[in-house]
This record gives sequence, structure tokens and C-alpha cells, in this order.
Amino acid sequence: MLRVIHKKNLTKLIRSLAVKSAVWAPLQTNGEVVFSLVSQETPDKEFVFQGSQSLLPPKFLFLPAEEEIFSVEKNKVKSLPKIEPFSVFCSYPDLVGILELDEIMQKEPTDFFYTRHREAATLIAVSDYKVEVAMAGDLILEKINQSYYQAIVLTAKGKKISQLKFFENKNMESRAIYAERSPLRQLLLDSELIKEAILWSRNKPIWEELEEKCLGCGICTYVCPLCYCFSTEDKKSFDGNRCSRCRKWDACTLPDFALVAGGKNFRPTLKQRYYNWYYHKFVRGYKEFGRPHCVSCGRCQKYCPAGIDIYQVLKRIVDDYKKSLNH
Amino acid sequence: MKNIYSPQTAKILSVKNLSANVKLFRLKVKPNLPLQNRLCFIPGQFALIGVWGYGEAPFGISSSPLQNQYLEVVVREAGTVTQKLHTLKKGDEVTFRGPYGNGFPLDFFEGKDLVMITGGCGIPPIASLIEYVIKNRKNFNNVYLLYGAATPQDILMKEKMKEWKKSIEVLLTVDQGDKNWKGNVGLVSNLVRYLEIEPQNTAAAMCGPGAMAKALENILKPVGVSDRRIFVSEERRMQCGIGKCQHCTCGEKYVCLDGPVFNFDEIDKDFD
Repeated sequence: MLRVIHKKNLTKLIRSLAVKSAVWAPLQTNGEVVFSLVSQETPDKEFVFQGSQSLLPPKFLFLPAEEEIFSVEKNKVKSLPKIEPFSVFCSYPDLVGILELDEIMQKEPTDFFYTRHREAATLIAVSDYKVEVAMAGDLILEKINQSYYQAIVLTAKGKKISQLKFFENKNMESRAIYAERSPLRQLLLDSELIKEAILWSRNKPIWEELEEKCLGCGICTYVCPLCYCFSTEDKKSFDGNRCSRCRKWDACTLPDFALVAGGKNFRPTLKQRYYNWYYHKFVRGYKEFGRPHCVSCGRCQKYCPAGIDIYQVLKRIVDDYKKSLNH
Repeated sequence: MKNIYSPQTAKILSVKNLSANVKLFRLKVKPNLPLQNRLCFIPGQFALIGVWGYGEAPFGISSSPLQNQYLEVVVREAGTVTQKLHTLKKGDEVTFRGPYGNGFPLDFFEGKDLVMITGGCGIPPIASLIEYVIKNRKNFNNVYLLYGAATPQDILMKEKMKEWKKSIEVLLTVDQGDKNWKGNVGLVSNLVRYLEIEPQNTAAAMCGPGAMAKALENILKPVGVSDRRIFVSEERRMQCGIGKCQHCTCGEKYVCLDGPVFNFDEIDKDFD
């Protein structure tokens, strides 16, 4: 006996949850998929759960592009407004992105502001493919045949949702199919090799070639589910009585990222900064967390105005590295 | 859940001019350890000091770690936060987070000749180390401070140095002297010739720009002070102080967590 939901009921479920609290989902609007608030009027055809098609990954719900983290009046810190519970429906690859970001931000010492948002959230992933290892989240809806999704319950919050009237118990077998691995996903399976290759490539011409191509705009970092560099910025009211400290997304590819007061810049060239972006994802991050900071969603390639394809870059570095070992 | 970004409020106990654009701030900070004669922090650790509305910036703590009545930081006017700090007076309040980072390996230094090298505004963490060394003077062999400044007016902590000279060798140099200056002129690295050390049993502690550290390493290493015994306090843009924001990373290291003190062996590997 499986706990299942018919595909026709999926959007009904989402809209019904949106009556009580905010629900975010990837919606197709004006030709672009964007994580948006679901309303009672959101039509079925707007929901998009295939792959990672939204411009921004759902990380902005937990690590907003700009967030007031302290509000101070006459040198007294005011308490932060409570975050109301909300739900996020996303594709399975996007769920994986959130869970890996959890690991980063909740590594001791836990990032207070990120965790506040995360604790208010219920995560529901919709997967068209077989979910091999359900890492976390609250509920995963795994497509098991043309019409039904099986409810994989991971938490009490998830269980509560699976008990709603949209679900039913059915005597059926799961025919969930395996997703095809993208070439990037395949390449990432040997993260140790990538790490070695990136270290080896440090002074190789590829980074000069990429420096020529890269515009240094930082878009790749903004659309990446696992880029989390940030800066803080203080603002002050004219009378000087109110101040707010904001945390904002930053990008390690931007010119001032490693600049210190007094004018010394530790990564003055784009070549250094662009290399550092790969270094963080595939060397530092890999050493710190045991897997690279890449979920192979393809957003950095899709939205790069210079058309840089992360898969092609990694493949070339790995191929060149392998060749160098043979010689 | 603890908000690790939440700073405490620290009152300014005094402000002293050290040079034209450098001031020493004495701050009243809630003691981490109420015990007497114990370390309140490790020399070489840094703190994030800020002013609401202007931001936070990292500073090496320059006062003695062996008392918990106050902390001192040296502030050069260089950016938004330091410019604001320079306008503050006794009794004003700042914000304080820390201490963060590893600090110098005090146990490792014991029983060795210790050469401390710094220039200009790099003195704070070294000053704190000197205070510690002087209090435990018998645990160290020959101890030197090599310090360079642009001009005689730029030499910081002159009063403290008078005290230090009673217990350790203080060697000074300036880039450009004036008519009253009778001391050394030139690079800090030129002072190395005055050292009387046993290189195999010498440790060096530095805080200064990369070029200075590299120049000193080039002199010390060939005479037998290995890279593992040369420690450098690195300057980076520590923003969060706790290994999240990524501004201070150097290769696989976080300057805020793994540093700011590194031995030269680590720095030589794949530092940016």
C-alpha cells in the first residue's frame, strides 16, 4: 500500500496550503520560471517542477539578496520581526541545493539569520524521477507512474501534509524511473580528480583565456544554489538615531571582494578571482564538506552573459590534467 | 539559538594619539574569563570592532592578555569604520565581537630565542605578545623586537617601548630619518644583522605586509630558522569573523578561523 497523490491533485494541494500560509513555487511567468508566491488564482499550467529551471534557486528565501539583520535605535538593538511559517515547493535538484546550503550555513557556529528562515520553512520536493537517497526536507513527492506521485515522508511537518484529503492509499507498485545523468553530474562523481585537476591548473593558460571571456559580473554566483558569499553594510537615518545593518549577497568574482582598508587588494585580477570561484567550489568546499559546492543545475552556464560553460571548463581542465599525468 | 553576529557594547575608557593618523583605544569589554593571571585572549587574536551605522572592522588586540580590565586596539584612519572611530571620545560606545582566530603559539615559543618583527601599524598583535613574553620573561631566551616605520613620527607605542626595552632588545629603523634621528635608516630586514640568536632554536613572529614577511623569510630561512618556526599574522578582510562570508579565504584556509597566524610553510603552499 502506498500513500500517493494524483497529479491532478498536486496543484490543488499547493493552492490549499497557500490559503493558510505563504507558499513559494517555481512558476512560469512571462516566459521565465521564477520562484513566486502561489495564489488561489495560480493556474495549473504555471507550475514547473522539471529540473532547475528557475532563474534564481530558492536560496533567496533563506539567504535573501538583501536583509536587515540588525535594526538599531539610539544604540539599542531592536528585536527582529518573527518569520511566519511558509512552504516551498521545488524540484528535487533544487531541494538538494537547499540541503547542501543547510550544511554550509549550519556548520558550527550556526548562521543565525539563515537558520531563522530555514526553521520557518516546510520543504516539499516534487520529483519526476526516482529519489535514490532522500537526504532531508519534509516531504518528497516522487513520480511513480504517469498519474501518481508517492509521498515520501521525512518529518512530522511532512507527515501532516501527507494526511490531507488530496492523498490516498493505493495498492500499486512504484514504477519510478531513474533520471539520466547530465555530463556535468557524471563528471562530478569523481570530485577528488576534479580537486586535483583544479589545483594543478592554477598557473595554466586556461585561466587567462577565461579571464578574457569572463565579464566579472557575478551572475554565476547569484544564480548558484551553493554560492553564499556575503557582505554587510550599515545605513543610517539622517538624524543619526536609526541605523540598520544589512547583509547582502556578494560575489567573489567582483573586483573589491578581497580588498582591505588602505587599498591592498589580495585578488586584484579577474583571473585570480575567477580561479578562486572554482577553487572554492571544487577544492576548499570539497575539503571542508566532502563534496563540491556544485549541484550541476546548469544555471551558471545558462545565465552567463559570456556563455562560459562550467562543464566545458571542468572537462578541459580534467582532460589536460590527465594528459599531463600520462606524459 | 545563539546569534553569533550579535556584538556586545564596549565603552571607550580612553583615546590616545599615537601618530598623526593613528589612535589607541582602550575599551571596557565584558571579561571572557574572570580569573586572574590567566589569558583572556591569545596574543595574535583579533576582534571585530564597530559602530552602528558605519560597520565593523577587524583589529588585532594590542593590550596584555593577562588582565581582564580592558582591551586596547590601535586604529589607523583608513576606511569608513576607522574614520568614524577616530571621531569618538572617552565614554562613547562601540560594538565588539571576538576575540577570534588562533593567535601566536605561545607554548611553542617557550625555551626559544624569539624574534618579533613588524612595521608601522602591524604592531598591535606583536605588542600583546611582548606583554605576555615580558610577564613570563624567564621562559624565553633572547628576545628581540625589530620594528620599522616610515619616519620617526610614525613609530607607534613609543612609551610602551621604553618599558619593553628593560626586558627585551628593541631595534628600530625608519625609511626616512629627520635631524634628531640617530638610529637606523632602511628596511627592517637590515636589522637582522644585530641579532644574536641560535637559529636552530629560534622562532619568529611577524605582522606586516607580504613583501616584508617574504624578505625576512629570505634572510632567516638560509641561516637555519625553518619556515615552520616563522609565524606571520595575516591581514585580510575578515567580515563575519566566523568562517562564513568567504572574504578572508586564502587557498584552503580561512584567515579568520585557521589564522590570522600562519607559519610560513602554510603560507608558501597555495595562498592568494
